[in-house]
Amino acid sequence: MTPAHFAFSSAFMLGLAGLAFHRTHFISALLCLEGLMLSLFIALSMWTLQFDTMNSASLPMILLAFSACEAGTGLALLVATTRTHSTNRLQNLNLLQC
Amino acid sequence: MAPPIYSALIISLGLGTTMTFASTHWYLAWMGIEINTLAIIPLMAQNHIPRAIEATTKYFFVQATASATLLFAGISNAFLTGQWDITYTPYTLTSTLITLALAMKIGLAPLHSWMPEVMQGLNLLTGLILSTWQKLAPLYLIYQIQPNNPNIFIALGLLSIIVGGWGGFNQVQLRKILAYSSIAHLGWMILILSFSPPLALLTIIIYILMTFSLFSSFMLTRTTHINSLSTTWAKIPILTISTPLILLSLGGLPPLTGFMPKWMILQELTKQSLCPLATMAALSSLFSLYFYLRLSYAMTLTMPPNNPAGTLPWRLNPRHNTLPLALTTTSTICLLPMTPAIMSLMPF
Repeated sequence: MTPAHFAFSSAFMLGLAGLAFHRTHFISALLCLEGLMLSLFIALSMWTLQFDTMNSASLPMILLAFSACEAGTGLALLVATTRTHSTNRLQNLNLLQC
Repeated sequence: MAPPIYSALIISLGLGTTMTFASTHWYLAWMGIEINTLAIIPLMAQNHIPRAIEATTKYFFVQATASATLLFAGISNAFLTGQWDITYTPYTLTSTLITLALAMKIGLAPLHSWMPEVMQGLNLLTGLILSTWQKLAPLYLIYQIQPNNPNIFIALGLLSIIVGGWGGFNQVQLRKILAYSSIAHLGWMILILSFSPPLALLTIIIYILMTFSLFSSFMLTRTTHINSLSTTWAKIPILTISTPLILLSLGGLPPLTGFMPKWMILQELTKQSLCPLATMAALSSLFSLYFYLRLSYAMTLTMPPNNPAGTLPWRLNPRHNTLPLALTTTSTICLLPMTPAIMSLMPF
């Protein structure tokens, strides 16, 4: 595992832990999701440098486009949740319990 | 929802799955899965009630996490092997991570907790899309991975069969029951995937037929609770005959179609000398049969004590499109004698 691989892997794992263990607010989960996407962006951007190939040079830009769409969807859901549940705290998402 | 937006979303759903099916590059497969997720989110939230928004939020988080993990595993695989081919995952770490990410996408145990709650918040048509169409792309990718050892598939499969059966015991909401049934059936599919991929394909096709007919029956009478199931006799009496047969087919009883995949899977597992596994899988599917029988009991074998259900509903001219229901119900009940023909078509 090269140092670059280790770097973005640890960044990804930290973001994943943040997303899995978020406790209070919706928006902190969305931020961790953005952190995940950012670590993947850095991974893809380093591909060209590490492997000296231009084959997959456009992949980071496409990832950015999809990540922006996902962020937009997340924020729209944040607004929708705040409208229906009157808060962005995650403990209020309890309507669908068994 | 306005027709142009609705058709754009449905076309995007088709596009996403098609992109994943047509890809050999991890990135394109990930893009197809992302498009699928993004396209179904507005469909889930379309009626803007709090339950739907909550279900959409939970679905979004789970699917976004799983997609990101899938891409991370694909990129790690690319860094380690130098190429992006889907079928070439020689390292255990990356293939396990891919399998777990895809398992979270389709709702296999132990990554299944979101499934009943999300299904509960949706209307029946979106729930149908969620439990049939959204499973196709991730299952195709799991099929392609060909891991070194099949132990993870066996563990995921057996755990899903047990959890899918046991979790549905105490449920009265039909959508949660359907979610647990989906978990159990996907467990059967994953169980056999490493031994005989054509059998997994057979299982998913039969599962889609059975689930489609069950969802369509529930959509006809707009039932979402066992209580309202018991008034079906007053609205559409033929459903009190066909729905129990569909439910028993889902439970895997001969002579109905649902027996075919289970029979073939147990036979294949026995051929691979995995008899204890086959026994455990067969016994665990008895749990699911229990709650299917409970639904049949409520629908067919009981009558509500008073009769307003028989007198109150207005009998207007029904404008249901029952052709899909008729086709899928017939195939759910009557296809078992076709087993030799279907087996000869399976490429072994």
